[in-house]
Amino acid sequence: MSKLKYLGKRLLMSVPVVWLGASMTWFIIFMGPVDPASRLLSEGQTRNPAAYQAAQIQLGLNQPPLQHYLDWMSNLATFDLGRTWLLYQGSNVNALILDFLPRTLWLGFWSVLIAVCIGVPLGFYAGMRSNTASDYVASMGGIVWRAMPNFWLAIMLLTFLGTAYTLSVGGFALTFDWQTIGIGLDAISGSPDLSRLHTVEGFLAATKKVFPAALVLGSASMGNEMRIGRTAVLEVRNEDYIDLAKAKGVSKRALVWKHILRNALVPLVPIITSEAFLLIGGSVLVETVFGINGIGNLFYQAARSGDLPLVGTLMYVFILMIVGINLVQDLLYTIIDPRVGLEGN
Amino acid sequence: MARAHETTSETVLPTESPAALWAGIGALLFVVEAGAFFDFFVGIVADFLAATPLPGAGLVNGVENAVERIPTLLSRELIPNGGYWNGSRWVGTFLGLRPGVAWGIRVLLVYLYAFAFAGWAVLGYRLYRREYRTADWTPRDDMVDRFRGHKWGVFGLVVVFMFVTMAVFAPTLGPTTVDKNMRDSYSYEINYWNGEAGEVQTTLVGEANLASQSRGDTADRVLPMGYDDFGRFHPFGTMPSGQDLFTFIASGSRISLLIGLLSVGLSVSIATTLALIAAYYKGRIDLGLVLASDSVMAMPQLLLLIMLTTVLAGTWLGGIYSGGFVLALIFAGTGWTYMWRSLRGPALQVSERQWIDAAKSFGQRPRTIMRKHMLPYITGYLLIYGSMTLGGAIISIAGLSFLGLGISAPTPEWGRAINLGQDYVATGSWHISLIPGLLITIVVTGFNALGDGVRDAIDPQSDAAEEGGAAGRGGGA
Repeated sequence: MSKLKYLGKRLLMSVPVVWLGASMTWFIIFMGPVDPASRLLSEGQTRNPAAYQAAQIQLGLNQPPLQHYLDWMSNLATFDLGRTWLLYQGSNVNALILDFLPRTLWLGFWSVLIAVCIGVPLGFYAGMRSNTASDYVASMGGIVWRAMPNFWLAIMLLTFLGTAYTLSVGGFALTFDWQTIGIGLDAISGSPDLSRLHTVEGFLAATKKVFPAALVLGSASMGNEMRIGRTAVLEVRNEDYIDLAKAKGVSKRALVWKHILRNALVPLVPIITSEAFLLIGGSVLVETVFGINGIGNLFYQAARSGDLPLVGTLMYVFILMIVGINLVQDLLYTIIDPRVGLEGN
Repeated sequence: MARAHETTSETVLPTESPAALWAGIGALLFVVEAGAFFDFFVGIVADFLAATPLPGAGLVNGVENAVERIPTLLSRELIPNGGYWNGSRWVGTFLGLRPGVAWGIRVLLVYLYAFAFAGWAVLGYRLYRREYRTADWTPRDDMVDRFRGHKWGVFGLVVVFMFVTMAVFAPTLGPTTVDKNMRDSYSYEINYWNGEAGEVQTTLVGEANLASQSRGDTADRVLPMGYDDFGRFHPFGTMPSGQDLFTFIASGSRISLLIGLLSVGLSVSIATTLALIAAYYKGRIDLGLVLASDSVMAMPQLLLLIMLTTVLAGTWLGGIYSGGFVLALIFAGTGWTYMWRSLRGPALQVSERQWIDAAKSFGQRPRTIMRKHMLPYITGYLLIYGSMTLGGAIISIAGLSFLGLGISAPTPEWGRAINLGQDYVATGSWHISLIPGLLITIVVTGFNALGDGVRDAIDPQSDAAEEGGAAGRGGGA
């Protein structure tokens, strides 16, 4: 019961967070130094009072600020997100987000998966063999990998994959060309085709397309997960219950898998989910470099072209995503760690 | 104990007053490079004032000109590398050496000087600890000793120190200056050896740049450690515009460091104040702050940066220091949350201690209690997070200028070099993107390593930086 209560409390706490975040966004965009209405118009139109007036009325800026704020917030709350102004002119924002979001989610899904599948085992490996040469190599690799800027790594990876390599050993030539290996792609960068996900070939093609981008996007989290996995294993190994299990004669296999690794997973859960904001923030740069038409790229283009209302709406979507991920984190926490929600009672 | 110390001082320093000797060395070290230091600080003030409507810009410009006349030992005038080949030998370079060698000597001397300065500071600390301090031992000694034994942390410190040296001595280190090579390249002339005509000819720097552009596989491209057709040496090669990449990067390191320091300083002060308040008053104030920081954190930092730089770009605030000042403010406004999160725990722990209750019962004011009895226990954490956040800020600034936001265009910034070179990575001009990216990786690794070292020195048991690990990543750039 106390777990449900804990989750309920977290859910309740997330409401003011979303409200405050959306209010700050509204303030920055509509009360900031830039007049959103004039940003939407071209040079010539700004001098035309009729066009300016029309833009103001469309945005609702002719109303008093409080009224405008209430309107804007209620529109967000009911997901009545209006139409775009400059970018994909006049299209429905809801439809636009529904069109762009799946690509970002697909990219995010793979970047989390790749980071977890490489980072955590590597960290555990380093932790089980602490202070050996392989530990140092793995740890150093993780630290440097983590310090590389995503956008730079993306450029380098694209260049590396864009060339075909031929390795010839004694008349036997081995060619590596990312574009044609396995499933052929029309181009190494660009948006993945998500319409054929249900077929095996379509699934593999879409995965291969986002794989380099996901690898780059997950790089920071991978390094973090490795470090924390390593420390967690080191800490758990020194716990008294491990000694007790050893004394009881628990087999080495059960000791490692059941007693050490499972407990070492606990501190990793918040790390994996709290890096959601790294993924979402990084998606702007990675999607721009890889030419993926995702929601991060959309946000960047909206900001560049001056479509401030769209920027605000997208920020609201990002806030919802992050708060949602935090709630998932709490849910996972209660499943993995039975102590959560019991402390304090 | 005191006796033993006296004997060591006699063997190490053959003088009655080691402090005077130490101060003398310091003064000497400072005087020879006073011009460079003044130039660094006056330059910052001038850049800030240039964009503000505040009066005083003229006065500062006057001071700047005066400062430039202060004789400086390690200057490009004393060890020049900008000469020309007259058919039989180099003219105008240091001792008639090749420009590359002359430049190398200058860089080497600058770094030797910087390390001598650092050595002088370390010597001063040890002298103080051994000779002048009344206490034989303080807890801080253990921290310093632990840090000295922490190889990874010392590596980080050296990398950070070299980066700071690069930023401070940027005008001296570059083979040419930003003014001469980029901003005003058509106002300066250079002599060069024209092999076809067999004589020394004169051309404008801008014209020479046009003929040494690195765009793909062209014959004109200049690779790292190469000379262009005008006898100019380019340690990191040239950019697609023909400008010198090293000068660009050295100058860019200055702006990265300044924005980083300013933003980290601001967010550290905000985070500390709020952490102390939350830990002291607890309850509703704490809850309110948790909500506020959660809301800021719910907006992804990089996206918030993009949104705010777009909104504030046109204002007078956005013009200060090529947009760097507003960037620092935004970093502080968004970055305090992560730091506050990490400081809140330690601050809460301190607030539970008995001496806080004792101070309260004495009737001390809350401000005094926070400052005197709580702050000293969390300053160590500030160093850790400060170092990591600085690394993150450098990545973020580079990421933003890669996207064409943040620092406005002609001002050199590392991210822009990566952006300019991204089309040529697969070609013969691979160096333009590769080198700045490698440098960012090294510098950020250095800041993270320094943070690790400080953490292990302050509290070997804690894994404080683990939670703040994301801070070192600049919001995912």
